[in-house]
Amino acid sequence: MRRVGTWIAVGGLLLSMSACGGGGGSDPESTGEQPAKAEALSVGFVAEPANLDFTATEGAAIPQALLVNVYEGLVKLDQDGKIQPLLAEKWEVSEDRKTYTFTLRQGVTFTNGAPFTADDVVFSLDRVKSDWKLKIKSQLDMIKDVEKKDDTTAVVTLDRPSNGFLYTMATRLGAMFSRTGVADLANQPVGTGPYKLGEWRRGDSIRLDANPSYWGTKPAIPGVTLKYFKDATAMNNAQLTGGIDVISSVQAPESLQQFADPNRFETIEGSTNGEVVLSMNNARPPFNDKKVRQAVRHAIDHKALLDTAWAGRGQLIGSMVPPTDPWYEDRTGDYPYDVAKAKELLGGKTYTVKMRIPNLPYAVAGAQVVKSQLAQVGITADIEPLEFPARWLDLVFTKGDYDLSIINHVEPRDMSIFANKTYYFGYDNPEYGKLLASADQGSEQEQVDDLKQAAKLLSEDAAADWLFGFPNLIVAKKGITGLPKNAISESFDFTGLAQQ
Amino acid sequence: MRGRINAGLVIGGVLVGLVVLLALLSFGWTPRDPVLVDAAAKLHEPGGGYLLGADKFGRDTFSQLMVGARTTLYVGVVAVGIAAIIGTPLGIIAGMTSGRLGWLSELIMRVNDLVFAFPALLLAIMLGAVYGAGTLTAMIAIGVATVPAFARVSRAATMQVMVTDYVLAARAAGRRRTAVALRHVLPNISSVLIVQASVSFAIAILAEAALSFLGFGTRPPIPSWGRMLQESQELLFSTPRLALWPGLAIALAVLGFNLLGDGLRDYLDPKLRRIRAER
Repeated sequence: MRRVGTWIAVGGLLLSMSACGGGGGSDPESTGEQPAKAEALSVGFVAEPANLDFTATEGAAIPQALLVNVYEGLVKLDQDGKIQPLLAEKWEVSEDRKTYTFTLRQGVTFTNGAPFTADDVVFSLDRVKSDWKLKIKSQLDMIKDVEKKDDTTAVVTLDRPSNGFLYTMATRLGAMFSRTGVADLANQPVGTGPYKLGEWRRGDSIRLDANPSYWGTKPAIPGVTLKYFKDATAMNNAQLTGGIDVISSVQAPESLQQFADPNRFETIEGSTNGEVVLSMNNARPPFNDKKVRQAVRHAIDHKALLDTAWAGRGQLIGSMVPPTDPWYEDRTGDYPYDVAKAKELLGGKTYTVKMRIPNLPYAVAGAQVVKSQLAQVGITADIEPLEFPARWLDLVFTKGDYDLSIINHVEPRDMSIFANKTYYFGYDNPEYGKLLASADQGSEQEQVDDLKQAAKLLSEDAAADWLFGFPNLIVAKKGITGLPKNAISESFDFTGLAQQ
Repeated sequence: MRGRINAGLVIGGVLVGLVVLLALLSFGWTPRDPVLVDAAAKLHEPGGGYLLGADKFGRDTFSQLMVGARTTLYVGVVAVGIAAIIGTPLGIIAGMTSGRLGWLSELIMRVNDLVFAFPALLLAIMLGAVYGAGTLTAMIAIGVATVPAFARVSRAATMQVMVTDYVLAARAAGRRRTAVALRHVLPNISSVLIVQASVSFAIAILAEAALSFLGFGTRPPIPSWGRMLQESQELLFSTPRLALWPGLAIALAVLGFNLLGDGLRDYLDPKLRRIRAER
């Protein structure tokens, strides 16, 4: 009988997983119904950083909390994906587009009291090459030299013209560090931003306090607490009971109905850089045959898929470009839902394929719809959910042992992954690589034209199918304004937050 | 001599019969295709061709429950089968060996304790992570984890049988050990095994549901009660019926097998029969 006890305990555990939560200590200022101006807000997140050093630790959690809020770069991305000045007042680009002259803002100090000068620009960018431990640091490899002209002027020289340079400077790679403030990055971040680290309760929360010596407009909310949850349901419950004020990212879109009351909550839906891709293994049968891939694209009713698998939240995109990129074009018309056309392309043949997906909610939900729809044209897809990340990365991503898979490619501006023929898509079209290379070195207009062309080529080749653009779903207490609608940069920007 | 039919036996039998009936029926007929995604029927209310409504994929809940019953029974039968086929001979061997061969008995039972100490859910998740999640790995894991229960029960029962006069007589007559085990021991401990099988079946159902809930059980889209529960989790507040039906099915099936097990024990246990006769 002891065994019965074990399984009942498991059942109890499952129940408690969904029932508990909301036990988070809420600030009285933030939960009250009074119209009093808020002094502090708490925002729920799902992934807690292991440390606070994003120069040495991979992952999205650290820049999400610190970039723009604590650390600032010379430039930043606005909500439309355009590059705006931040610590640089302005910049000039030379004729050959290889020299960038940044004019720095004056009167900026780090939270350790040190002034921000061109020396710090040289220090920070040199440090990317010498000390950073991330793979993505190669994105700044085009930098040949960084020089200080005077205290407020820094000159960056590149190997070759690159449209990616300024964009990368807006990511964590362009964050400015103090020469005297990098001793303990893992615990003590020192930046120029509107916030500084208040208190970090490991396993629970990080509090950011307003930086009293900030150079710009001081944030309206002087204290922001980032509260970390292991479980999406627990985070939802905390929001319902007032334990937190904002859910930074809703993990289960159907649960949004809990927050439907417009007198209490507001739901913000924007876009992310994520493309949910139905990957097809171009390197082996049957998907090495373009006609079979095209048949798959025709066989899927993307609207129905989005409505059932992800509660209709998100955007149909049709190629590897999220709606916020300047070269976005709606490519959903390339392969409209057409079962007869799909059958014709297959020529009466039937196939049985391996659909190896990560055991993530959107993939498991999407796969069931894809399977049901492919069955109608004669393709039998056997769904095999794999533990994510380790096992999926090993079998599908590294070894390429799959026919179909579903994964959300979250990296910003990641069209280039299709140019690498050893990537798990196995897509090999030299024309595509040429377009991407010419895009990076051409003028801005040429870049946009080339990348539009590349996205079109990708879609027409049916290198994969794009199920939908992953939505950014935020739930906030009514009256909270200034939340970033689109999650297009690496950071969750608190600087505009306010409460009415 | 027969035991009395008791209430537990009847209720358990009816509940189990219902599950078996649904499962058998699902082979030939379901009201709708249980795996066909139909956006137009998303969260269809009960009625209008959807007896218990439809889920967020527009799949008919009742059809899913029927096929889910099949999955449940399938896992139960195979898992309990594995446990009985491995556990029973081990238990009988352990029960029959003593004295000079006592070490064998000790060895079997201590290894048994080792397996018993290992949480079944952990074993299943481990197997799922290494060999890929699926019904087969779930069945094997649950089966292996249930082996000790069968081994222990059959060892105890075997030891009781071994001291009876007819076994002593058979051994005195020079019958071989295997013949004694097959002709005398096995038939006489079968009632205990049937009860154990019924109880283990209930545990296997719960285990399969838990594993499917965690994503380590039956692969989507094959309907499984556990995964139905999991998929309804995010809709718990808006459409609670989606969690209610599979939850109820699991509860009733487990109750059914437990009652059946208890009822069978009462029915087959000679001691209880004697007590009743004396009343």
